[in-house]
Amino acid sequence: MDIINFKNFSWKYSGYRGWTLHNINISIKKGEFIGIIGKIGSGRTTFCSSMLGLVPHFYPGIMEGEIIIDGVNVKETSISELSSHVGLAFQSPANQLTGAGTTIEEELAFGLQNLGVPYEEMNKRIKDMLKLIGLEKFGKRSPFELSGGQQQKVAIASVLIMNPNVLVLDEPTSQLDPLGTEQVFDMVKKLSKKGITIIMSTNNINYLSKFADRIVLFDNAIIKVDTPNKILTDIELLKKHSLTHSDITEVSIRLKKMGLYKGELLVNLEDLKKVVQGLIK
Amino acid sequence: MASIGLSSYVEKDSFFHTINPLTKLVILLCVIIMSFTLSGFVYILLLLLIIIPIAIKSKVLSLTFKPIFKLSFMFILLFIIQGLFHPYATKKLMDLPFGFTLWEDGLLYAAYIASRLFVMMVFGYWFVLTTHPGDLVSSLTKIGLPHALGYIILTTLQIIPRISGQMQTIIDAQRSRGLETEGNLFQRIKSFMPLLGPLFMGSVQQSVEKSMALEARAFSSKGKKTSYRKTNITNMDKIIMTITIIFSITWGVLSWIL
Ligand SMILES: Nc1ncnc2c1ncn2[C@@H]1O[C@H](COP(=O)(O)OP(=O)(O)OP(=O)(O)O)[C@@H](O)[C@H]1O
Ligand SMILES: [Mg+2]
Repeated sequence: MDIINFKNFSWKYSGYRGWTLHNINISIKKGEFIGIIGKIGSGRTTFCSSMLGLVPHFYPGIMEGEIIIDGVNVKETSISELSSHVGLAFQSPANQLTGAGTTIEEELAFGLQNLGVPYEEMNKRIKDMLKLIGLEKFGKRSPFELSGGQQQKVAIASVLIMNPNVLVLDEPTSQLDPLGTEQVFDMVKKLSKKGITIIMSTNNINYLSKFADRIVLFDNAIIKVDTPNKILTDIELLKKHSLTHSDITEVSIRLKKMGLYKGELLVNLEDLKKVVQGLIK
Repeated sequence: MASIGLSSYVEKDSFFHTINPLTKLVILLCVIIMSFTLSGFVYILLLLLIIIPIAIKSKVLSLTFKPIFKLSFMFILLFIIQGLFHPYATKKLMDLPFGFTLWEDGLLYAAYIASRLFVMMVFGYWFVLTTHPGDLVSSLTKIGLPHALGYIILTTLQIIPRISGQMQTIIDAQRSRGLETEGNLFQRIKSFMPLLGPLFMGSVQQSVEKSMALEARAFSSKGKKTSYRKTNITNMDKIIMTITIIFSITWGVLSWIL
């Protein structure tokens, strides 16, 4: 079953020349993990924003085509209504905090209060969510006293708590240190295993190679959609879009050059391990 | 409870921390009205006999009176100025050296003003100490304060410490690029200007991002809203409100009859 359907979707920001996104067609299945890659300004943020309806409802501009998500038509649905179908987390952890919550619990409660969820239900969801993100002991703390990685986890949790079926993450780790990055990626992995559909924009190819089902390469349009193995080892294609291939791919290139390995280029650590183990024997 | 920002709320496990903020607001309002309408300063000062046990029960006794002590100089000044220079003074209390006169009605006027300020400040500060800003906004929203206005009040209470934090980051960054931020006043004003750019531009970008993040959490949802902070008006609240109002009226009337 498709949970997301883009049909001939195009978008132009008003006052901006040319289409930022041009003729996007893609169907995404329930439970899939989609990685979005592309160079700076390739329209990934715009694509992510379109799923919550920020494009076209928040930003002025011209939209063509149709987006259907979780059974609703984005163009005909308000952002607050869409927020029960799609959770969108942004780059900057601090800017996503409402600033109204004096504790992390209150921060998580914000969306639920707006939806009119009763207190008991709210309380239960908050407890569950704190457990899921591993911050049970921090519920009464101020969200401003957290590390960047923890703040980003709270930000993701605060949209997730509204029970959307789709979670969209726009470069959630680009402002985090390695530890914070790992914390957030671990959390996303956990969510994906629970069956939530995940669309994640990130140029962290090592991570995507491990967890993504499909990779979408953007450059104001969808250039290519394929499995991580296919796209992330296409060195020419990546180079053309100012992206670098992973260290694992680099090792497999060198092994090939040395005549020690003859198969396809690798991007997955497990695959590389097998090859190296074979060599040792 | 380190950073509730501007608010001086202190978390304590006390009866008056748990009652509805509106109840405390009624108490505060009655006190303010009384301090303007009671017939003499003694009646006003007697209200302190009420706040002392309340503050003890709220576990914030010394904190409640702290601002008063900080301002004691101001009160002394008030008595000196009014006692010596009250413009409409007619009743002389005593002659002082250097041709000064101490006026009785001046002192009386000072006592009236001082007791008013004193009582309002003590009750006001007790209110702030025992009322979580989140509870206050939540209870006000329930009686009709617009949702968006409530959000603005809550964020404003928290924003100043954060802006000053950002200022420090920008100052550090500019200083590491060789910007002079110390020296005489003129130099400091001059060096302040380059700080405004990043702060302002940053804020614009931030508010765009923030409003998107709010939308992502159904901020402009039309339906009925609920509150995570529990602020119901209980029977106890109703009883306290009624007692407060009855007491205020009685005390007001008594002050004029006696
Ligand atoms: N609010 C806006 N108004 C006008 N133009 C915009 C707006 N936001 C983005 N653009 C333009 O649309 C194009 C795509 O931007 P977008 O942010 O979607 O790309 P991106 O792939 O996320 O880039 P980045 O790597 O910088 O995050 C850019 O050329 C940008 O200048
Ligand atoms: Mg972007």
